[in-house]
Amino acid sequence: MHDLATEVVLALRSGDHLATVCGAAGIDEDNRTGIAAVRVIGADLLLPSVLHGHHPHPGDIAVLHRAVREFPPRPDASDAAVWSHWGMMSALHRTASATAPGADEPNAAWLEGAPWQAFTHQLSVLAPLAVPAASSAVHRAATHRVVDLSRGFVRAVRRRNWLQAAGAGRWLAALEGRPDSLGLDRGLDFVELMGGTDPRVALHVRAARLMAEGRAR
Amino acid sequence: MYTTETTATDIELDLDEALNPGEAEGFYRDSRECAYLALLGGGSALLLSPPTPRPKKG
Repeated sequence: MHDLATEVVLALRSGDHLATVCGAAGIDEDNRTGIAAVRVIGADLLLPSVLHGHHPHPGDIAVLHRAVREFPPRPDASDAAVWSHWGMMSALHRTASATAPGADEPNAAWLEGAPWQAFTHQLSVLAPLAVPAASSAVHRAATHRVVDLSRGFVRAVRRRNWLQAAGAGRWLAALEGRPDSLGLDRGLDFVELMGGTDPRVALHVRAARLMAEGRAR
Repeated sequence: MYTTETTATDIELDLDEALNPGEAEGFYRDSRECAYLALLGGGSALLLSPPTPRPKKG
């Protein structure tokens, strides 16, 4: 999982349109453990192509398809696991070579009434859904609770929960209406400085920066 | 290339845990880290502000 996240970060930094994340991580369609790692990283497998605006590598698409088929949500799956699976299908559907059908959105009502601390935790877990031009009920819930998410970002930094801070920061970079007093850019610098050795943290921070740059253009 | 049923189950259980982790315990900042944040410059006043006072017991 960490190797895979590292390869996503490298692809985000390089912007190389020929890069294959799974190939670089030594994962193919027959590697069940590797497929499970792809299931965890989810839609972020295709994030470099989404944020750099090029087609994803066919090998990465094939492995993501395999992960979708191989690890569907179990009947007792958590909401986060269900949404993560939906995010993978949605990412595949958005690719030009998509063969996966678009799936109905899962329910997101559980987010509406969540206290801001739990809301931020859940949004951070679902950070792969924070991508440009990818609407979802989770995205809409985040849009309605930007201030709560901002509070959660500050709380996560104070608690030294760098992964949660990075995920919340990524959402905030994707949303309008965050308070100017938040200091998101400097906050993300700090999160990267303190927690950037975790490739999952580095992934979210890099994604936040690319989205912010894209919005500034 | 699947090994055993047991392995498959183990992977699925690990997946559940990875996809829906609980929130980690907080470890609060020390003064050295506060100094880093201050050095990063302006715009982080909210992050540097003191913690919200907590109600006293009793």
